[in-house]
Parts: sequence; C-alpha cells; structure tokens
Amino acid sequence: MPVITVTQINKYIGSILKNDRNIQGVMVRGEITDYVKHYRSGHVYFTLKDSESSLKAVMFASAASRLRFEPEDGMSVIVSGSIGVYERDGAYQLYVNDIIPEGAGAAGAALEQLKKKLAKEGIFDTAHKRPIPPIPKKIGAVTSLSGAAVRDIINVLSRRYPLCEIYAVNAQVQGEGAAESVCSGILKAEAAGCDVIIVGRGGGSSEDLSAFNTEKVAYAVYNCKVPVISAVGHETDYTIADLAADLRAPTPSAAAELAAPDMASLYEKISILERRAERSVLAQLDKASDRFIALNARLSAQSPENRLKLTAEKLAGLDKRRETAFSRYFERIEHQLSERIAKLDSLSPLKVLSRGYSLVYKDEKLLSSSETLEKGDRIKLTFGSGGAEAEITDKW
Amino acid sequence: MKEKLTFEDNMTKLGNIVTELEKGDIPLEKAVELYGEGVKLSAACRKQLDEAQIKITEDDGTAPSEK
Repeated sequence: MPVITVTQINKYIGSILKNDRNIQGVMVRGEITDYVKHYRSGHVYFTLKDSESSLKAVMFASAASRLRFEPEDGMSVIVSGSIGVYERDGAYQLYVNDIIPEGAGAAGAALEQLKKKLAKEGIFDTAHKRPIPPIPKKIGAVTSLSGAAVRDIINVLSRRYPLCEIYAVNAQVQGEGAAESVCSGILKAEAAGCDVIIVGRGGGSSEDLSAFNTEKVAYAVYNCKVPVISAVGHETDYTIADLAADLRAPTPSAAAELAAPDMASLYEKISILERRAERSVLAQLDKASDRFIALNARLSAQSPENRLKLTAEKLAGLDKRRETAFSRYFERIEHQLSERIAKLDSLSPLKVLSRGYSLVYKDEKLLSSSETLEKGDRIKLTFGSGGAEAEITDKW
Repeated sequence: MKEKLTFEDNMTKLGNIVTELEKGDIPLEKAVELYGEGVKLSAACRKQLDEAQIKITEDDGTAPSEK
C-alpha cells in the first residue's frame, strides 16, 4: 500500500468535492452563528447551523461587500455557494457567494435593500417633488372603494372644498395583484385629468402595506404626471410609496386636507384681492384729483379776468414808474436851471456896477474907450443904482 | 357658446387685474374699468364658492359612475 502525505489526501478530497455537482452551486438554509468580519481583509466567517448540525462558512470580501444588509447571529438565511476543502486545516466548508435573509427579518432587509436601490435611482429625490396645485379642480383617490379611506376623503373634501370633483378609482390595496391594481389606478386617475392624486388606504399591519412597498408602485408614483399624495395610514414606518410621493399624509383624511384648500381661506383670498383692488384704484383716484387741483390752479391763473387784473396792475405800476421818472426829470432840470441862473446872475453887468463900476453911454452907445469923445460931449452914466448926465472937460 | 370659467380661472383673472392695478401706471379711465371688471370677477368667485357642489365619480373598474 503506497504511503501518501496529508497534503495529498486533502488535495484529493478537495478535487472530489469540486467535481460533485450536488455540492457545487448549492443553496443552504440555516441560522447564522459565530459571525465574524475580519476587520482588515473584509472576509466574513460564520457557522451555519440548524437544529442538528453546523457547517463552517466563509464569504470573501468581494462577495461580502455586495450584501445590502449586515448579517448577524441568529438570522435565518439561505446561503448560496459551493462546498470546498480548506487544505491547511483539512476541513470542508461552504464558500459563500450570497446570503438571502429569510422570514420576518428577510422582508425588512429586502425592503431596506429596495429602498437603497430606489434612492440610488433618484425615485425619492426632493428635487423631483412637485407642489400641490393651490386650487385643484379634480382630485383623484386611488384606494379601495369599499374601504374607510375613500369615505374619509369624500367627507373631508365635501366639507372643506366642495368646489372640486373627486375621481375615486377602486384599487385592490392588499393581497395578490395589489401593487398592479394600485399602479393601474394611478394611471386611470391621471388619464381622467386629475390634477392631484391621493394614493392610499386606511391603516394596517406592516404586512398589509406590502403593495405600497413595491418597486412598481414607487415607479408609478414617481412617473405620475401630476403630484401624488400618499396616505398609507401607517404612522411609524414610511412605505416606499410614502417616500416616492410628492407629499406624505399620515391618514387619508389628512391627505384630503393637504390636497385642497379650505373654502374659508378661499373667501379670505377673494376679500384680500378685493381690498387690494380697491386700495389701488382709490390711490389712483387720489393721485388724479391731486393733479386736477394743481392743474386747475394753474389754469385759473391764466383766465381772462385774471389776465386783465394782472395787466391793470402792470399798467398802474408802469404809470407810477413814469410819474416818478418824470418828476425826477423835472427836479433835475429845475436844479440845473437855478444853478445856471445863479451863474448868469454873477455875470450880470449890473452886478459889476454894484461893485463900483459905471457904464458910459454916448448917443445911446456904450463906450469902452475915450477915443471918440471930444471936449464938451455929453455922456450918460449908469451906476449900480441910479444914473447921471455929465460933460467931458478933458480927455486922455 | 362661451365656456363657463372655472373658479381658478376667475381667481387667476382677478389676481392679474389686481396686479395690473397695483402697477399704477395705467390711465385712470382704464383703472376704473379694470376695477369694475375685478368687482364682477370677485362676485363671480364668491358665487362659485357659495354654490359649489362636490361632484363624485367612482371608477370601480367597470364604467365610471357619477354619484
């Protein structure tokens, strides 16, 4: 009998397992225990066990990083992978490709995975959220027509906003085909010309909400051309439909309140517009009347009476100026005249005579020389005052 | 035939008139005319609210029926 080494035997067993299709690409159900994630390499090690036995499992970092949830001890899972031998320890183990959660935990983990996926695809983006129309004409309600939700919506809208039309589309909200039913309901409401759509149902346990946690419904809400308000009626947990909707309401009644304004606020809106219109027209009238008053004042200033009055005033003014001018002129002339008279006076020969000079006339002729005088001529003398006749007795 | 204006249409028109009036640069005559129109519109809006009657259509997968 040939002797072989430990390595050889392990390698041999390994090759046998590798060639056994029954244990290559298997899915194994079990519960996770001894879960360890190697902090440096990222490889994951755990033991899969059921009530009777256990199986070592390893998941390499490349596969582990693709998991959308964090496995933990006690979790029931279905693991896919292949059986192989770890030659160093001579142990066989399950080399894991993927882990799928099972049962209650599974639904939650799957939901989380779907949420992450849809978030990545932009279905929940705030930028995509549209405002609810302020005065909707037609409000769609996609829900079970036999449920309480549609009654609540109708009641609230009848009371608060009877101005609208409600288009209620029956949708199956739970059970097989619910998601499809909700999707087609949304499309119907959209096609009917609704300008806002409420999608929802009354409250329910989390299992009952599964239709609102589907990718289908998320996309139907996202792709709807008009805003969608979700009213799934579950306070604690947001469904995917809630996250995809443009607005989320805790209950169908609340959704109806969010979908439409209140009549009282509309009356108030009208009053405000009326007051604004009135105020601005009054302001315009005021402005116009101010302008009228100003223009009227300017106009009456130009009236014929006023102009006559102005002209008369002007004339009177001119007259006065003329008078003063004339009187000044006369004064000046008078002044000049008296000055001249004074001057004239000083030059008068009579004045000279009064200083002791005399005028000598012969035959009425004034003499300024003795040349023409002969002895015995008679002359007349005129003094400053009085006169005399004299006879020439000598001359020189 | 003149189509009946919805409440929203009337409110929009009323809002536009008020905005126009508040600009203040329109002739007085036009402003008074607009104001008159606004008064009519607000009366129409009030009337529409007063007389509002909710209309409910149910689509249960067969033919939509009015209630």
